[in-house]
Amino acid sequence: MTMDTQLIEHMMNPKNYGTVENSNAEGIGKNPENGEKVAIYLRVMEDEEEPYIDAIAFQAIGCTTTIVAGSMLTEEAKGLNLNGACNLVEATLKLLDRLPAEDAACSEMVALAIKAAVDTYIKRQENADHPAVTYFVENSCLPKEEGSAV
Amino acid sequence: MKSVMIKTHEAWLEMLMAGFMSQTENRQTLIDFSDILFRHFSWIENELVIGGENYSYDRDTIPIRVEKLSDILHAITLHLKVLDGELVHLENRDLAKRISSDLYYMTTVLHTMKDEPVTAFSMERTFPGVTLKQEATDALTLFLFEETYKEYELIMIYNYLKAHTNDSYLNRIFQILIEESFFHLKRFCDMGAKMGILAVPRTVMKELYQIEDITQFLKDGIDEELAAKEECKRLAEAVAKESPEMEKFFDFINYQENYHIALMEDALRYFSAKGGMND
Repeated sequence: MTMDTQLIEHMMNPKNYGTVENSNAEGIGKNPENGEKVAIYLRVMEDEEEPYIDAIAFQAIGCTTTIVAGSMLTEEAKGLNLNGACNLVEATLKLLDRLPAEDAACSEMVALAIKAAVDTYIKRQENADHPAVTYFVENSCLPKEEGSAV
Repeated sequence: MKSVMIKTHEAWLEMLMAGFMSQTENRQTLIDFSDILFRHFSWIENELVIGGENYSYDRDTIPIRVEKLSDILHAITLHLKVLDGELVHLENRDLAKRISSDLYYMTTVLHTMKDEPVTAFSMERTFPGVTLKQEATDALTLFLFEETYKEYELIMIYNYLKAHTNDSYLNRIFQILIEESFFHLKRFCDMGAKMGILAVPRTVMKELYQIEDITQFLKDGIDEELAAKEECKRLAEAVAKESPEMEKFFDFINYQENYHIALMEDALRYFSAKGGMND
């Protein structure tokens, strides 16, 4: 991880860390390889046109890279409508190839947790008791050894 | 009563961080006060356990970034006053009186402290008397963020386990682990403040301390400590050329992890033989 002031700021004061009062959707991103996880809490509001993310927060069992990714992505997701949030997730997942393996797994976990929370919200429109959706990461958190088979 | 515990938790961490912002004789007093607040926290937790109430270690974010020590002391004074007002919810009136008396004294002392500038949030990431290469600086920065949180997490886990066992043998182990983790937390906060990156550790998720499988937790914990030893070793090597003192410190922390491992192995053996907590 290359560090600049903005990155250190996210480490010192992660944005949106915690839970949301009166949240109406939660989602989980998990790494089955090491037990790390990210929980996203959303308060989705309905305006005249379409639902949007009024408040978002996250908690994590994970490393500092996960916290930084959670801080950045939840900041970007705040205020988006559900399509916007899905586009953010998609754009993040497309960027993962450019990141080192351990950073990719962390960002993927946060992105999938946001997607899971949005999907939970959608499912709860039909079934208010639907449990929080969980998605598992595909990237490995462990850096590949040099010369090892892909 | 839960709100008293949350406010005490927040005051404990705020006071601890204030201690590391100071570079004068105020420091030790503030750190001592934070230790007292942590003990208050344990007393109040015990009341909740005795009363059979469900509780968690959730708390609010604690803003601590200030330019002058007096700013954080002012904030702490306000929070201690609010906390004092909340003590009315403690059913154990003797405990409430004892805590109130401590809070009154602390507030009085905070008022007398001389002001000083705070550099703990400068983000300069330079260590006094040591010139580190960029790679070593980044490695140290990441290590301090990871381990400051990890030590706080361990304090909360062992504290929760201790609060829920009446077994004196396990209690001894958990107490030593708490004290070891406190020592490490304080050392890393001290280094973080000197580097200008002091930060309050984030809240610990419930499932980490409300443990369902303690045997697995102890096994994983031993593996984590072994990994931490390797990390300390790597860091010691990374800073060795620039700072022999820092190299020695990280070697020391590396060997300190052996205590954690020995205690956790001991707890694992004992716990496995007994077949569970409070049996």
